[in-house]
Amino acid sequence: MSSISTGAPVQLPSKPRDTFKLVVTTAFVVLFGWSAISVDLKWSRLLDAPADMYRLFKAMYSDIPWEELDRLAGLMWDSIAMAWVGTIMAAIFAVPLSFLAAENLVGRPIAWVTRQVFNVLRAVPEVILALLFVPMFGLTPMAGVLAIAVGSIGSLGKLFYEIIENIDSGPIEATDAVGAGRLQRLRWGVIPQVAPELTSFLLYRFEINIRASSVLGIVGAGGIGGVLADTVRFKEYGVAGLALIVVIVGTIIVDTISGAIRRRIVAGRTIDIGEAQMYAVDTGGLS
Amino acid sequence: MIRFDKASVTYPGGVVAMKDLDLEIGDGEFVVIVGLSGAGKSTLIRAINGLVPLTSGGLDVNGHDVPNLSAKGRRQLRAEVGMIFQGFNLVDRTTVLNNVLMGRLPRVPLWRTLIGKYPDEDIQIAAKALDRVEILDRAYVRATNLSGGQRQRVGIARALAQEPKIVLADEPVASLDPPTSHVVMKYLQQISRDLGITTIVNLHFLDLATAYADRIIGLRNGELVFDGPGSEADEHTFRDIYGRSLTADDTMAKQAAL
Amino acid sequence: MSDSPLRLPPKPKPSPWTVGLSLGMVVFTVVCARTVGFSFSGLVEDLGRTNPVAQGLVDISWGEMFSERSRRAFLETLQMAVIGTTAGAVVSLPIALWSTEVGNPYLIPRVLLRSFNNVVRAIPDLLWAGLFVLGVGIGALPGVLALFFFSMAVIVKLTADTLDGIDMGPIEAAKASGASHTQMLRTAVVPQILPAYSSYVLYDFELNLRASAVLGLVGAGGIGQRIDFFRGRGDWSKLWGLVLMFFLVVVVVEWLSVKIRRRLV
Repeated sequence: MSSISTGAPVQLPSKPRDTFKLVVTTAFVVLFGWSAISVDLKWSRLLDAPADMYRLFKAMYSDIPWEELDRLAGLMWDSIAMAWVGTIMAAIFAVPLSFLAAENLVGRPIAWVTRQVFNVLRAVPEVILALLFVPMFGLTPMAGVLAIAVGSIGSLGKLFYEIIENIDSGPIEATDAVGAGRLQRLRWGVIPQVAPELTSFLLYRFEINIRASSVLGIVGAGGIGGVLADTVRFKEYGVAGLALIVVIVGTIIVDTISGAIRRRIVAGRTIDIGEAQMYAVDTGGLS
Repeated sequence: MIRFDKASVTYPGGVVAMKDLDLEIGDGEFVVIVGLSGAGKSTLIRAINGLVPLTSGGLDVNGHDVPNLSAKGRRQLRAEVGMIFQGFNLVDRTTVLNNVLMGRLPRVPLWRTLIGKYPDEDIQIAAKALDRVEILDRAYVRATNLSGGQRQRVGIARALAQEPKIVLADEPVASLDPPTSHVVMKYLQQISRDLGITTIVNLHFLDLATAYADRIIGLRNGELVFDGPGSEADEHTFRDIYGRSLTADDTMAKQAAL
Repeated sequence: MSDSPLRLPPKPKPSPWTVGLSLGMVVFTVVCARTVGFSFSGLVEDLGRTNPVAQGLVDISWGEMFSERSRRAFLETLQMAVIGTTAGAVVSLPIALWSTEVGNPYLIPRVLLRSFNNVVRAIPDLLWAGLFVLGVGIGALPGVLALFFFSMAVIVKLTADTLDGIDMGPIEAAKASGASHTQMLRTAVVPQILPAYSSYVLYDFELNLRASAVLGLVGAGGIGQRIDFFRGRGDWSKLWGLVLMFFLVVVVVEWLSVKIRRRLV
């Protein structure tokens, strides 16, 4: 009996070269090497970090000021409210702006410019935007709401114009055939179809915005972030520790609820399509 | 040598996929298992390499006491048993050669696997396995760029690279067209003859079974209902195995004609 | 056509779920709007009011990015983002694997790891930075540490979601050939997710670059420290010049990164 490994050796074909991979890998190695060497940072300090952090946690959690819990929970609620109102406001602004970014509505140049505006808005962190709005609205949650709203216009606008650009194709041809205008098409042909996705994306954006709004207070734009800045300034580690717990718990609760609704929306959608098909079959016999 | 001794498999939920099976398969045999889907063909094959555990009875595979193996013993057994799948089970994103090298894993140290640097001897074995199924020239092509027949040949090469004593093939041609199916079956038959590998193949098509099998085993509802040479199996035999009259779906030639 | 009126099929009623959800969202919006003291007229009035900060946006000073200090701060931002992303990416792959069923057959460790991931994900980037500034002092180190944890949150989540949808066939093949669990993960699972994972790492780099602009506001190094400096001095024209130049760079990096990501997947 012979085995696969006996017999004359065979020649493998020559290995092809993957230039793209090579270039990307080299670029990364060079970038990382340069960063690690030239960054202004004593790497030996990294070894002390665990001990430092342990000391910090001991300071924060050796004596938790539970009497502050009500106030902190109220501030976390402010942050959540800021995130939601900001998300809704962003959606309201993003709809008209997204018309200006859809190539099939306004033509390429205007669409291009609007998209660049979206890109820049998406790139700027909410905290920077809050720097702009705090002097206008004072140290109130409204400054935070505006920062969240402007910061979310970019990503919501992008989603909206992608939806609008897809109007011309697919199952909407039917509304087209009866001579509907573009906006009518949007209202009757598109919005009912994409409503679940829109809601789901809005909720998802809300989850992201909670994370932004809970730190906006650091620059005075309302919410629980302000406490964090103050406690650090006055070395109230106990309050800072409790605030951290409140932020984590509050965020996880919102994530859980919002996530459950999102899953339900996506699951419900398949059932809706099934019903629609059922009716389509039923009406088929009438014509 | 494979020996089932009153072997039974009951799945959670109560489905009995194997009932008191007594069966002996000698070294170097080319055995085809036929039966309706749900008759227990896949269970029988997967019991041999321990992918499906027996609920009772005994099973000896080349001296391995399968029901009582440790995790390590089970890996040793699997290293000696090559397996070929209906859906090919290749990693599409990586090269043909890397897929075949998967067959060398039990013999390669972990650190080499982790960095993806296999010893030259193992690469040579993989290359020979690819050469056997005449697809060596595609060694550095991504598996996703191959046709179905080529993918299954890579699947065979992966099993061969294990230098197995036994090869199990679970519906290896169910996803292929008739001409390609014959090519794949011929490779399996040839390898079994040349290398003396015990080969056990699940098939749905009766004409393929009679054309290639040295021995046919018929299963119905998890029980052995036929065991004999391929030449002895005729339409009556299959009617007994299937418990119904035959249809065009049951033979590849007729189905292809549809 | 017949004269008898056609009977339409009953119009599908919106499900109680849809009605409830819509109503719930409206109520929630009203409650939230009251909480934040939302008033439309106030909004218009406040937006129209002139103030030095907005005025700085008009008299923007473009040159600030090229001053020696700002350039150094910008490079530090870049370095922090590269190091934080790389370190986060390295630990994220095994953590993502161990927090899914494919990579970790043991329920309790898996659940514990998932809870840990949820906590890490609930802490925003600036909060991480604040924590590490309190713990290890100001500078680039707390910034890198903050970006490390922030990267972990992003990459682990996205990679774990991808892992839930992979092809199980190769896993069965690896098991059947006698591979150990780790070997199976390396040869049957990692190749499947590697393109997606690399794309997530690049995406995370974009996020980190953006985030590192603000980490300096709490003392965690990078260009944010310059932004904070001009904010403290009330030098808004320089602040906005720096901010806009920086985010032009970010948009360019993002454009490049999207190009590479497209080729990866």
